[in-house]
Amino acid sequence: MQVSTDSMHSSHYVIFNADICTGCTNCIKACPTKAIRLYNDNPTCLTDNCIRCGECLRVCPTGAISTTTYELEALQKDKVSITLVSPVLYSQFKGVMPNDILLAVKKIGFHHVMDLSYYIEMFLYAAEEYIIENRITGRSPWPLISPACPVVIRLIAYQFPKLLPHLIPIMRPVSLLAKETRANISREYKIKKDAVILYHLTPCPAKMVPSKSSFAPENSLVDRTMGIKDVYAQISGQLKHMKKNGIEALREESETQKISGNCLLWGISGGEIAGINSDKTLAVSGLRETIAYLEKIELGLFKDIEYIEFRTCPEGCVGGALNAVDKYIAKNTVLKMLRKFGLERLIPREKVILLYENGWGLSDTTQDELQRIFGVYKEHISIEQLKDIEKIMQQIQGKDCAACGAPDCRTFAEDVVMGKAVLNDCIMLRKREIDKISEYK
Amino acid sequence: MTAFKKSFNIKKRDFVRAGEASINVQNILKSLNMDHKLIRRIAICGYESEMNVVMHGGDGILTVEINTGKIILDIEDNGDGIENIELAMQKGYSTATEEHREMGFGAGMGLPNMKANSDILSVESEKGKGTQVHMEFNVSAD
Ligand SMILES: Nc1ncnc2c1ncn2[C@@H]1O[C@H](COP(=O)(O)OP(=O)(O)OP(=O)(O)O)[C@@H](O)[C@H]1O
Ligand SMILES: [Mg+2]
Repeated sequence: MQVSTDSMHSSHYVIFNADICTGCTNCIKACPTKAIRLYNDNPTCLTDNCIRCGECLRVCPTGAISTTTYELEALQKDKVSITLVSPVLYSQFKGVMPNDILLAVKKIGFHHVMDLSYYIEMFLYAAEEYIIENRITGRSPWPLISPACPVVIRLIAYQFPKLLPHLIPIMRPVSLLAKETRANISREYKIKKDAVILYHLTPCPAKMVPSKSSFAPENSLVDRTMGIKDVYAQISGQLKHMKKNGIEALREESETQKISGNCLLWGISGGEIAGINSDKTLAVSGLRETIAYLEKIELGLFKDIEYIEFRTCPEGCVGGALNAVDKYIAKNTVLKMLRKFGLERLIPREKVILLYENGWGLSDTTQDELQRIFGVYKEHISIEQLKDIEKIMQQIQGKDCAACGAPDCRTFAEDVVMGKAVLNDCIMLRKREIDKISEYK
Repeated sequence: MTAFKKSFNIKKRDFVRAGEASINVQNILKSLNMDHKLIRRIAICGYESEMNVVMHGGDGILTVEINTGKIILDIEDNGDGIENIELAMQKGYSTATEEHREMGFGAGMGLPNMKANSDILSVESEKGKGTQVHMEFNVSAD
């Protein structure tokens, strides 16, 4: 098996701090792809199985797990740095207007900040158009699945590759924005495209990866990602400063952007389908629920649904592991702001349809590519091995205690059969042996 | 070589958990890297028969048996049984209640679908003594 350097598997996504880790096994049990083991009290990530969902970050009680992050670089003279702001950022500051937040972000060190409103609306139009087309052509199987959540794409490619045709082949809003921004800025400033540095400020645990090893070409449209919580204090500081100096004056000198209600809503579960013009939609959030629904779709259910929005973070992106504020508080902030903004779209449909018909926004990542990057590493077993696994399970009669370092007895049995663990690591078995010996005494 | 065999319980009228047995079977077959069209057929058959137990039958058991050349599904339940099997096998025949129909079931297509997607289907039932469904799927060597 060859490991190519640009595959998602080539670098570690999570970093464990052994000094803080107590060996509680929470992360091991939470991992949906069972990619973490405890070897000699040290958690280890089997990178081949990691889909970068951030679930381990979320459940770690001591903060011993972190992801790769970037230090914000100082502004460079010959380069233009721009940050593309996830709309979830607006949910992190109650009662502050989006444009003020954008200005605060700019002041921490960017030439420009970009809001996603337009691209989210474009995406919604394109998704609607695809649904309407699909009713006639039947090109993709129902239910269509939203490509917006990167963890869902990885999960499908890794664990449900047969569902790849359900994903609508439209680029995610941030990818669309990245592509356009790089082109526009390099034209405007008359600089080369690689002199434009694109940051993405996001709550999404999946995006905290070096662009080279990201899962799909379109992801590499962004140069760096920053977690919201990593710059939260700086933004707050700027906001305070702005308030002291009178926001009104600052507003005038800054470039105000039109914020769409659809953009605000995007961050909470159901926010995507709320804007989609079809009744046959569903919104599912949370990792476990997402997996349960994907299993059912694989079974052939939900054919009467046209579009499903999946978000693996609880409550949607406001539940993203890299947020600074509690997800329910953030959700409330969004809903209250929405009363002001409404759900009317800023861009007229005609404008987008023409672009759509010319193939604008269509994803250039093929299903084969997705599967090649993820699917290859999934190990398969033989009927004999399956029987051996079952035999070991019978022998253990365990309680998924995870003391062996595997998340559950089933995974431990698999590891034993695949030669990655030894049966003697099971404390249930050892205990029973000791009991047996002491009985004879 | 002996076969791999595993059983799963199905609970009467438990619509929330209905489908779990078939999902388990599907996951096992996926781990064995079986042909996805074959998995699809087995999943459809498993799900239809599991739903029949949940809707029309009693408590039941779904057993999957995996051999190198053949996969077998056995679904048994201790419900009221089927009075006229020949009739039940016909497309569109259904005794589903209004409530079932509201949930989207009761097209009378379950058994015909199972017939179409399996290589061998046999249904045995006696009024008052429950129902046994047996299905076989050939695994082509390639
Ligand atoms: N396990 C069972 N116990 C009792 N009756 C059954 C059982 N399985 C099927 N039947 C009877 O056979 C009929 C036909 O079953 P079939 O699966 O073809 O259709 P259905 O279940 O009624 O509708 P659908 O499967 O399309 O939702 C059922 O309506 C029911 O009367
Ligand atoms: Mg039926």
